[in-house]
Amino acid sequence: MSTPLHPVPESAGEEGYDWRRLHPVTPALRGWKVLVAFIAVIGFQMSDMLRDIVELLGPGRAWIVALGVILLVGAVGFVYSALAWRVMRYAVTDEAVHLRTGLLFRQQRQARLDRLQAVDVVQPLLARLLGLAQLNLEVAGGTGSAVQLAFLRETEATELRTRILALAAGVGPQQVPAAAATGAPPDAVGPDAPTAPAPAAPLAAPVYEAAPERQVYELPMPRLIGSILRSVTPWFLLLVVVGAVVGSILLGDVSGMFVLVPALIGAGGYVWGRINTGATFRAAASPDGIRLRHGLTEARTQTVPPGRVQAVRIRQGPLWRRPDWWQVDINVAGYGAESQTESVLHPVATRAEAAIALWLVLPDLGVDDPLATIDAALTGVDDDGGFTPAPHRARWVDPLSRRRHGVLVTRTALIMRSGRWWRTVVVVPHERTQSLALTQGPLQRRLRLASFVVHSTPGPVSPSVAHLDQHVAAALLEEQARRAREARAGAGPELWMRTATADLGGAGEVAGAQPPRPPVVQGTASDAAEPRP
Amino acid sequence: MTTNPEAHDATVDVDPFDLHDVVWTAVSPRLATARLVVLGIWAVVLLLPMVALAAGFALLWLWLTAAGLALVLAWAGFLVRRQVRALGYAERADDLLIRRGILMRQLVVVPYGRMQYVDVSSGPLARRCGIATVQLHTAAPGTDATIPGLPPAEAARLRDRLASRGEARLAGL
Repeated sequence: MSTPLHPVPESAGEEGYDWRRLHPVTPALRGWKVLVAFIAVIGFQMSDMLRDIVELLGPGRAWIVALGVILLVGAVGFVYSALAWRVMRYAVTDEAVHLRTGLLFRQQRQARLDRLQAVDVVQPLLARLLGLAQLNLEVAGGTGSAVQLAFLRETEATELRTRILALAAGVGPQQVPAAAATGAPPDAVGPDAPTAPAPAAPLAAPVYEAAPERQVYELPMPRLIGSILRSVTPWFLLLVVVGAVVGSILLGDVSGMFVLVPALIGAGGYVWGRINTGATFRAAASPDGIRLRHGLTEARTQTVPPGRVQAVRIRQGPLWRRPDWWQVDINVAGYGAESQTESVLHPVATRAEAAIALWLVLPDLGVDDPLATIDAALTGVDDDGGFTPAPHRARWVDPLSRRRHGVLVTRTALIMRSGRWWRTVVVVPHERTQSLALTQGPLQRRLRLASFVVHSTPGPVSPSVAHLDQHVAAALLEEQARRAREARAGAGPELWMRTATADLGGAGEVAGAQPPRPPVVQGTASDAAEPRP
Repeated sequence: MTTNPEAHDATVDVDPFDLHDVVWTAVSPRLATARLVVLGIWAVVLLLPMVALAAGFALLWLWLTAAGLALVLAWAGFLVRRQVRALGYAERADDLLIRRGILMRQLVVVPYGRMQYVDVSSGPLARRCGIATVQLHTAAPGTDATIPGLPPAEAARLRDRLASRGEARLAGL
């Protein structure tokens, strides 16, 4: 397991690949799932039948039988997992990652590296305790991860990620600059970054240097708790609890309390989900793209290479207005629509951090004063900051948030603003536009209005501007189609380092490209922007 | 096919859904026939049993329901031709335009380089009517780029053309 992995050329032929097995503990970790699933299904679905059986056997013997069944199922689960593990192999070539799975139905999957959208290292609680990790490679299309390597040793997983990212970036091992071989500057390496000039590796082995990274923000726990208290869910829950208690007292009947059970479970799940994904949320910039680390029980390290973020949304609910907090979400083609935890770029950002988060995705917003533009987008109305607003007559279709509808075209991106109480700003880089549409309903037609829609890849963000003047919207459609085309023609290659090889020399230089440090902000942002010791 | 009849009474000079220098191609009128047949089938399936029951048991409310349904179907039948006339597409140098709808109008621009794949499909009724549907797919699920009612030869030509143009302009996501 410790021999370094050689990426063979794709042309070597399937049998020539360096096929590897996953960690031998994998079946034990997977076998548990079978057992838990079995117990859950039996427990929830067939409790009536179980009761009959228990009555038939008598309590003493029932226990023995139950224990026997559980042991049997566990054994079957573990044996199956062990057999599945035996046939499961992966190989990394210079063009793709291959995964062979399947005991009865063989499957060989290939994820092309130039189509790679994100690489995640995930550690569920149990795996984390054992020092194991799972590597998810995401490519666009399909559901779930394209290639899921579970489980690898933690160091192995991060090393493999480094290699895959280097290969996907188009950097061969020989291109690693001399500076990197002696170890990256300590200040440029993140707290638990793969520190990896693999000193034990034999000379012939290719050495891949982990891209240096610099932390740009971190979510403090009190703010996360505060953000949950300032969301609608706990108050709604309180309302339900009070309602149920008052109702029970008034009616003198406690059966009303059962209403609480699903409400408590739902709200608890929501709160736990937010804490679990938001806790210890940290973001770092690196030449390999954005690196996000988060998770309480399940630790997750995401790497989204440059140019893979399709759209960004910055959103604020009414209760977050006073502390000026914002949630930043992204669309990444590999994560898909159903992922809630992976598509978050910042769970609770201050305004300055929101600007930094946006900078991570789009280093050049294409305007002269990005901070002023971001301010205008976040809180402005009408034509603040040069936005094209919805015309006055749009009040007939949207009297409440008419003044917030607006759009701004910059040199590099399209910024869309909406929402009066739930303020929303969506940014789509020009070269990430998939297709465009103009829609007009009967009322809009009478008022000579039209809505402009940008289609983005599946994810939480769906960009659109409602109720623009119909001619403005039509012109926007035409121009945006042209701009998107031109931006794509000038966009970097899929192998993102092929253009940026010059930047590789100074390890700190690339990563250290300064985030836009707002001059007006309270200390937090600039502190967060400093690399941690 | 260039202007919509209702655009004249609006105070606007040009229809924003009619981008300049764009020659729209209309879809086959046989699509209207196909849609009318579908409506007719629904009418038979829904109305006949209703009328039979209403006549058999002399139920006034059922008669009224049937009449209402017949009215809706007739109205839909009346709209079909106009809806089909409102459907159009245009191939430009770098993108495909599709427009549709009378009440809820929509104009979609799909750049060729963004296309992931093209579907050509036609059901039994469509085949009998001699029409096919071409659907473009991008990486965005929101892209609703469907052109129904193309003659099969035109559908095949469009598919090949879109595929070749897409390949020439292919880019990453």
